[in-house]
Amino acid sequence: MSVDTGPAATTRREPATASPPRRRRRNLTGLLFVLPFLLAYALFLGWPLVGGLISSLTDASLASGEARFVGLDNYAEAVGDPAVWQALWVTVKFTLLSTPLLVAVGLVMALLTNHLSPGRWLWRLAFFAPYVLPSTVVTMIFVWILQPDFGLADGLLAGLGIDADIGWLTEPNTAMVSVVLTTVWWTVGFNFLLYLAGLQAIPHHLYEAAELDGATWWDKLWRITLPMLRRTTGLVVVLQLLASLKIFDQFYLMTGGGPEHATRPVIQYMYQTGFTNFRIGYASAISYILFALILVVAVAQVRLFRPREEAS
Amino acid sequence: MTLHETDRRADPRPSGGRGDDTPPSPPPSRRRRFRPGALLLFVITALLAALWLLPLAWAFLTSVKPEAETTAIPLRWFPTEFTLDAYRTVLDGGHFWLWLFNSLLTATVVTVLVVVLCTMAAYGFSRTDFPGKRALFAITLVGIMVPPQVLIVPLFDQMVLLNMVDTYWGIILPQIVTPAMVFILKKFFDGIPRELEEAALMDGARRWRIYWQIILPLSRPVIAAVAIFTFITTWNNFLWPFIVSTDPQFMTLPVGLAAIESGYGLRFARVMASAVLAGLPLLVLFVLFQRQVVRGVAHTGLSGQ
Amino acid sequence: MTPRDRSRRLSRRALLGGALGLGSLGALGALGGCAPPRFSDGIPLRFWHLFAGGDGINMNQMLDAYRAAHPEVDLEAVTLAWGERYYTKLSMSGAGGRAPDVSALHLTRLPGYAPSGLIDPLRPDLLAEAGIREEDFPPELWRRSHHEGRLYAVPLDVHPYVLYYNVDVCERAGLLAPDGSLAPISGPDELRAAFAAAKEVTGHHGLVTETVGSDTIGPWRVFWTLYRQLDGHLLTPEGTGLAVDDDKVLRVLQYMRGLTDDGLAPREVDVNGAVSLFASGHAGFFIFGDWEVSTFLETGTPFSMARIPQVFDNANAQADAHVFVLPHRTDRTDEDHRRVYEFIAFLLSQSITWARGGHVPAYRPAQEDPEYLDLRPQSNYRSVADDVQLDPEVWFAGSASVMWLELGAVISAVFSGRTSPEQGVLGIRRVMEDLLDRPNPID
Repeated sequence: MSVDTGPAATTRREPATASPPRRRRRNLTGLLFVLPFLLAYALFLGWPLVGGLISSLTDASLASGEARFVGLDNYAEAVGDPAVWQALWVTVKFTLLSTPLLVAVGLVMALLTNHLSPGRWLWRLAFFAPYVLPSTVVTMIFVWILQPDFGLADGLLAGLGIDADIGWLTEPNTAMVSVVLTTVWWTVGFNFLLYLAGLQAIPHHLYEAAELDGATWWDKLWRITLPMLRRTTGLVVVLQLLASLKIFDQFYLMTGGGPEHATRPVIQYMYQTGFTNFRIGYASAISYILFALILVVAVAQVRLFRPREEAS
Repeated sequence: MTLHETDRRADPRPSGGRGDDTPPSPPPSRRRRFRPGALLLFVITALLAALWLLPLAWAFLTSVKPEAETTAIPLRWFPTEFTLDAYRTVLDGGHFWLWLFNSLLTATVVTVLVVVLCTMAAYGFSRTDFPGKRALFAITLVGIMVPPQVLIVPLFDQMVLLNMVDTYWGIILPQIVTPAMVFILKKFFDGIPRELEEAALMDGARRWRIYWQIILPLSRPVIAAVAIFTFITTWNNFLWPFIVSTDPQFMTLPVGLAAIESGYGLRFARVMASAVLAGLPLLVLFVLFQRQVVRGVAHTGLSGQ
Repeated sequence: MTPRDRSRRLSRRALLGGALGLGSLGALGALGGCAPPRFSDGIPLRFWHLFAGGDGINMNQMLDAYRAAHPEVDLEAVTLAWGERYYTKLSMSGAGGRAPDVSALHLTRLPGYAPSGLIDPLRPDLLAEAGIREEDFPPELWRRSHHEGRLYAVPLDVHPYVLYYNVDVCERAGLLAPDGSLAPISGPDELRAAFAAAKEVTGHHGLVTETVGSDTIGPWRVFWTLYRQLDGHLLTPEGTGLAVDDDKVLRVLQYMRGLTDDGLAPREVDVNGAVSLFASGHAGFFIFGDWEVSTFLETGTPFSMARIPQVFDNANAQADAHVFVLPHRTDRTDEDHRRVYEFIAFLLSQSITWARGGHVPAYRPAQEDPEYLDLRPQSNYRSVADDVQLDPEVWFAGSASVMWLELGAVISAVFSGRTSPEQGVLGIRRVMEDLLDRPNPID
């Protein structure tokens, strides 16, 4: 994969060639190098990972000290909890709506700017700048733009003669669309960069050969460019899927999960269960279910990409 | 293989196009005669770029309007009088400076700790041998699969136990565990030719000196990428700082703006002024270090998301 | 690379390095003390509240008065985002152990907090020293401030749902009494007729009230007002069993739905929309909490306020009360208690300022103060204080609680025409059954 071109590919593993006494000393030194990181890892990843698993088997509460062991009750409750399913459905809906847009827009941006060398830094600035902003800033701007009547969105529509009486953030479906559009504006720059990298990695002789055969611009796009970008697209889709499962900021900051929980993603339900309703045990169970889902996607990603990466 | 080549290879492709970077596939048609298609392409691109800049421009334009003009119908693009009143109110009142300080502090400490811990660990995994190395590296890799978002509930519980809720350490420490960075750095270190350090080892140099005097200087680009990416993600991180800081004294800028009622209500010039001010540090950073930021994100964002 | 390029890159790198260096220096300094920089050496007193808008302005005035009277105290007051978010942060800070010294709470949330250990009981002996006495508060509010015999809260106000009316519109619609106030309205049909007459005048709407929105709770408040006017209950008195009266619920929901179905009120309006419609004179009536008075005084809308009319069997109205509580801290000394009680007593003494925001003072001396009685329209509806209907006393009820959000969603769907009143009855039953089934996390 082009963006990941570390020098690794070319390195041969060389066996360590050291004399025995030196090696023993090195043993200790090597461990010292990795120890600080592993310590932090154990404390702030290992501990909560195990702690969460344990508390998911109890009725631990934010308020009271003691927790009782309840076995798999929390998991059983979660499977039967319509709110969990609704939150998952919100996530799925968000994914289905946002992924095609994020792929298509990112690709179009990359195709447009790939050969437009004058002002390339400007395009990059325009398309990628939103990505470096905090979610709070992005949502503040879009909540303002989507204000009824005097917001920019309604204002522009009014300029076109459309009296848009749209509850951008107050009606279930439009609220979802608003969050999706905000997300596209915010994060498409990342996909744009990936596609740009993918485009620049396509060997130029392919195009030259095609030109000799009299291929048109359109032919080249369909026969060379898009097929050569297939892996990038796969990557973008998987990353998007992973990001969607973990989504929280935009929904929480723009709609608060409303109306009627129609835009409440899993992380927010987990947050509310644990911290608003004090049910740490149950919230931990939900987080483990989510974790399992994310693992499935992540493992699928590895399965999808590993063999071909090694082959190339 | 020369050092220079190593260096350039570490550059991911998207950064091509700036002065000293050789574009990987120079289009031979660059000096061709004018084509109408190119103009159309340019216009479409420019329109799309304008559309993308519009929200930022609108935020800025709103922020320099007198409050009464922000809600004018039909909307008015430019203020009748340019005013910085909203900025003055935001900067004078509330916690703005404190939050800015907190953001700078936590993002910097996280970045420094990540760079130190991860380069050390990556070096250890790449260049040294010790019992259990394979297993420990495998555990590190497994960590990449654990999204920090799913750990917020047990992590908060842990912070309560460690008495770290509403402290800087509570914000910082859970953010320093970034196994993906170890992976990226190790991959890079693996590619640095061993002859160099073998020579140094012959001279009797210690592992620490090799790490410090050979590996780190050779890895500057990738370390810069890791550092910049870490800084941006930490600065922008919302969920964890939001969870662990309930006291506004400890909130970072993104969290404070969202959690604390500014009292501005529907006064949008002020809301947009605070948005502009909160976004500005990163936009400036981005414009100044565009190439490094892009490289950082493309290089590390993939596994670091 | 040309020399020029190099110098530019170097300077950038130097800048980055410098920034990092500076940041690390500051970092070490601040982390060493592990506290953000403070600029005052007074005795710290931290107060959290959720009062924004007009309430926020009044509260700030009261806090400034406190600061002037107590220069030795370094008061840090924080306004957090209202509602569920406020309560979440408050609980988390209580659990984290660095909670503020004193905070505001809705009285209806007390059953969810007092048993949890997330707030601390008050010390009656020290309260009395600060001059805070039982006889100065309405008995019902004082009773509800207790849990298992211990006092946990001091009430500041009662804030009922009320009826705002546009004086010009009502005058032209012939709805005013000779003294210029709203002529008495009673019964379901009279109220509808009044809305219809107002609609005639405005050409837009008779009534506006919140029907939709994210985390919408207005529909619940209207419902609870009317349902309590029929003496309906949701739960058995001890709060453990379901007591939903299907017929009464249906009657209320049908009445509410009739208002939107017949065009007397707009079908889909969120809070902000409703406020701006009434402010701009597009509606003759507005049913909402008493706290929006500041907005309309500011916009100059010709308006006044009254109790919500008796539609059914009595003149009950939904309400809640703001109270002061002590978030849980392990290290509270007698001195800390005293300072907080003095602070609370001081704010109670400023109740008239608070009442300007529309709230009926809970503090008796303020209720009878001529200055309050002269406050119009804020004192017009003070009699409602005797008929206010707070939530059932259970852990899942109260302002911005799960119960409000979930019932709010069900009732909003009926009110705005997305589901039928019959389905609404089932929805309310389902929500209440589900809430009763949930394990109480604070037991």
